[in-house]
Amino acid sequence: MSALQLTTVGGENFQVTPTLVEFNLKLVFSGSGDMNATGLVNEYLKLVHEEALRIGLAQVSCDFKLLTFMNSSCFKSFVVWIDTVKNSETRYQITFLTNPALPWQRRSLEALRRLAMNLVTIETIA
Amino acid sequence: MTDLDDAPALVSLTLSFRPLANQIGPLRTLLSDLCKPHVADADGLSRLLLAAHELLENIVKYSVGEVAEFHLRLEAKATGLLVRLRTKNRAAPERMADARWRLDALAAAHDPIAHYDDLIRESAGRRDVSGLGLARIPAESEMELRYATEHDWLILTAEGNASERVHA
Repeated sequence: MSALQLTTVGGENFQVTPTLVEFNLKLVFSGSGDMNATGLVNEYLKLVHEEALRIGLAQVSCDFKLLTFMNSSCFKSFVVWIDTVKNSETRYQITFLTNPALPWQRRSLEALRRLAMNLVTIETIA
Repeated sequence: MTDLDDAPALVSLTLSFRPLANQIGPLRTLLSDLCKPHVADADGLSRLLLAAHELLENIVKYSVGEVAEFHLRLEAKATGLLVRLRTKNRAAPERMADARWRLDALAAAHDPIAHYDDLIRESAGRRDVSGLGLARIPAESEMELRYATEHDWLILTAEGNASERVHA
């Protein structure tokens, strides 16, 4: 299997860290996904999709345990990404890992799940 | 039990300022610190802060001129806590027309969540602006969103129940 070509991006206020285990890519998001993070999230998710197709990923997990907030523009980037996967010939599963102490996550991510119910799952981190 | 219409606000904050993107995070922290002692559950506070964040971003993105206004009022009612958020900003004509179109569609929708889902599906194929921020407020914060205009000023009001009140 090829080495992962994605790297950690962001800084003190917002960061995404990728880890590849076999054919599962885990993305750990931390900080606040606000106006300053919008461009980064948008571009990064495009790279994730390219990487998913290149490696032949089975699943991408987005760990939101340390993500304190996500604005509607960052949310829109996830909408575009999920729609891209949904319309791709090669699909992979997308799982969101949520923090029960941050109730906005469940509410926001339910809307993403409704967008692609056979593609998106939501799990709560214990 | 009687309604507490005459009771003073638990929190009242009014800002008149030049809105900048880097102010939103600290403002959300301030609002959280002010409201947290009164709001009994994390979900209620989370909904309030989400609505405040989207309204603040809206004035940062779309206001013209030097000054915009933001107002928060949290008050105790017999049914729990009532939160009212209000922004006022000058808007360019094209932005005003777009906001009116979006807000009229939102007001006409019978189900804010179904309307939000429709907007999400429509926006999926577009790579330009989000267009989801205002519709997110009633769908995820469970607040009613209203608007008014005064010349080139756009006034948005989000109002709803925050949660049960914390009792000392």
